[in-house]
Amino acid sequence: MLISILVDLLNFATPLLIAATGILIVEKSGVLNLGVEGLMIVGALSGYMVAGQLHSCAAPSFAGGCLMGGIVPLWAYGTALLAAGLVGAAFSCLFALLVLILRANQIATGLGLSILGLSLTNAIGSGGYDLSGVPLAGLVPAEWIAASDLRRLAAMNMLTFMSLALLPLMLWFLSRTRAGLILRAVGENHGSAHTLGYPVRRLRFFAVLFGGFMCAVAGAYMALALNAPSWREGITNGFGWLALALILFGTWRPLRVLLGGLLFGLTISLGPRVQLIDGLPGWVDTLLLPGLPYILPIIVLALISWDANMIRRNQPGSLGQSFNT
Amino acid sequence: MAIALGLTLTLSFLTLWATTGKPLEATWQLLTYPWQAATPLTQWGKALNPAMYLSLIALGLSVSYRANVWNIGAEGQFAMGAIVAFGAWLLFGSPTGAWFLPLLLLAGTLGGMMWAGIPAALRAHLNTNELLIGLMLVYIGAQFLFYLSNGPWETAAAQKPVPTQTEELASALRFTGIFDKGPKLHWGLPWGLLAYLGVSLVLGLTLLGYRLSVAQASSRAARFAGFNPKVTIWIAFMVSGGLAGLAGAIFLSGDVGVLVDQSNFLQNYGFATIIVAFLGRLHPMGILLAGLALGYLDGGASWLQAKRLGDDSIAGIIQAIALFSTLGTALVVTHKVRWR
Repeated sequence: MLISILVDLLNFATPLLIAATGILIVEKSGVLNLGVEGLMIVGALSGYMVAGQLHSCAAPSFAGGCLMGGIVPLWAYGTALLAAGLVGAAFSCLFALLVLILRANQIATGLGLSILGLSLTNAIGSGGYDLSGVPLAGLVPAEWIAASDLRRLAAMNMLTFMSLALLPLMLWFLSRTRAGLILRAVGENHGSAHTLGYPVRRLRFFAVLFGGFMCAVAGAYMALALNAPSWREGITNGFGWLALALILFGTWRPLRVLLGGLLFGLTISLGPRVQLIDGLPGWVDTLLLPGLPYILPIIVLALISWDANMIRRNQPGSLGQSFNT
Repeated sequence: MAIALGLTLTLSFLTLWATTGKPLEATWQLLTYPWQAATPLTQWGKALNPAMYLSLIALGLSVSYRANVWNIGAEGQFAMGAIVAFGAWLLFGSPTGAWFLPLLLLAGTLGGMMWAGIPAALRAHLNTNELLIGLMLVYIGAQFLFYLSNGPWETAAAQKPVPTQTEELASALRFTGIFDKGPKLHWGLPWGLLAYLGVSLVLGLTLLGYRLSVAQASSRAARFAGFNPKVTIWIAFMVSGGLAGLAGAIFLSGDVGVLVDQSNFLQNYGFATIIVAFLGRLHPMGILLAGLALGYLDGGASWLQAKRLGDDSIAGIIQAIALFSTLGTALVVTHKVRWR
């Protein structure tokens, strides 16, 4: 029981942690990108489509579909995640163009990017391509998953383990490397960084690209590895917004963000288990538990902001402001 | 402005080309669908009702954005407006007389205000980020719709409809059609416009509007003028939440008549209005025009889908194109382009 909760917790935390890593770098460079949900869903669809094209299939059908079932080789998963990331980076170029060069309002542009991503994937994923019924296997062989709980823990996909290492890696990058310090300087005060001769706009551009890459990979993970590979409209289900809330929860500190990701993952994984308990009142079953992943951030953010200094000390100074040279 | 419009039209045409393959026909259908249809009044309803909801909610949002308060949870406030309106009707013992209609709309407004009160209180008194709180409340409000229509307020009818829904509002409380008996192009439209006009006049002519303009121009100046920033935050949220809730109540009475689960009730008006507010450059007149354009587009997209010319998500794509064109060319309006 405990181990299966742990497995679920880590599985749900993975997309949050991957996306949060990307967002952290973007926000540390002083850019506020609210297009995470759109980037994630674009990544989810493109990862799913690429994996569908690459998997070995007993009886191929149209559009990479498969009539008889088949298995996705590991390299195909890697390729699909990478392709999704690249599509996400390309998609975030649009945001970079509007915000960094044309100096558009970051909040409005980010929200627009989310709306565009959701509509675009709805249009492509429902009309043009028939992707339903493409069976893809999980990252690990099915017989492992059926085995005991301990084996399940061992058989979790590599991405989950990697995602746990990402934020500690970011802590090292931001506090111990030259590039990381310059990035923070740019986010803290772009005027001073510019005076010192750092290329503010170029650094922010790379940060936005990296953020787009990571968010899209997180989305592709949700489509390919979180459950049986599948695609439906709105599959990311607000995880992009949760990842954004996670950054605030962690007050831009990598290890706190990691902790928050695990906490959010725990909340999401507990819901379906509590629902199994007999004799629950209806409002717990169909209102409180499904809503909990969204209620928790509200409570947590309210508690965090109790201490005004905590945010003031850690928030990048130029966050959300456009930079004029 | 002209550049943004030209860019939007060009890019939208290309998008229609890419998604439908028949750009000329799709564009023609999209522009003239009320005249193409066998029932033009229904199509006009599909264009003008959303236009009213979009403008009404966007007017509220523009008030909040002008005060530098980011209410992006209008979708949740819209849902809560409909829920509280319906709840008030149940609370009064499901009255069947038309006298309850004003109370229904009032309850909706209060419902939206209540839901907006959460981020307002957190932002004003704890300085919490109101953006994400508002968004999270959208998901919770949507879950409320599911819970109520599948739980305590579920209809008692023996033949359960799919998806499960509540009782229908009494027919005297439903807005009827203006020109015909059908539900489309209903009397909620003039009522919504009246509210729109009223709020616009209050904003344009009173100290309240001035206060918000000062807060937009400079928060320091607002403080020197003696305007308490906390009160400004509350006003911004109450106006935007109240209008979104009113729109939800009108939608409940005019378009649906029942509460159903979120995917059948919510029409994404709450998110599209963010775009409307910015397209209208946060000005009442501009918002009305932008709302009309996007409402017309909304009806056209579902017309295209009905004609099997594409998916109705084309509306969202064109909305985003219009937003980006407007935001991207704002710099050209205020600055002179010089090639070097």
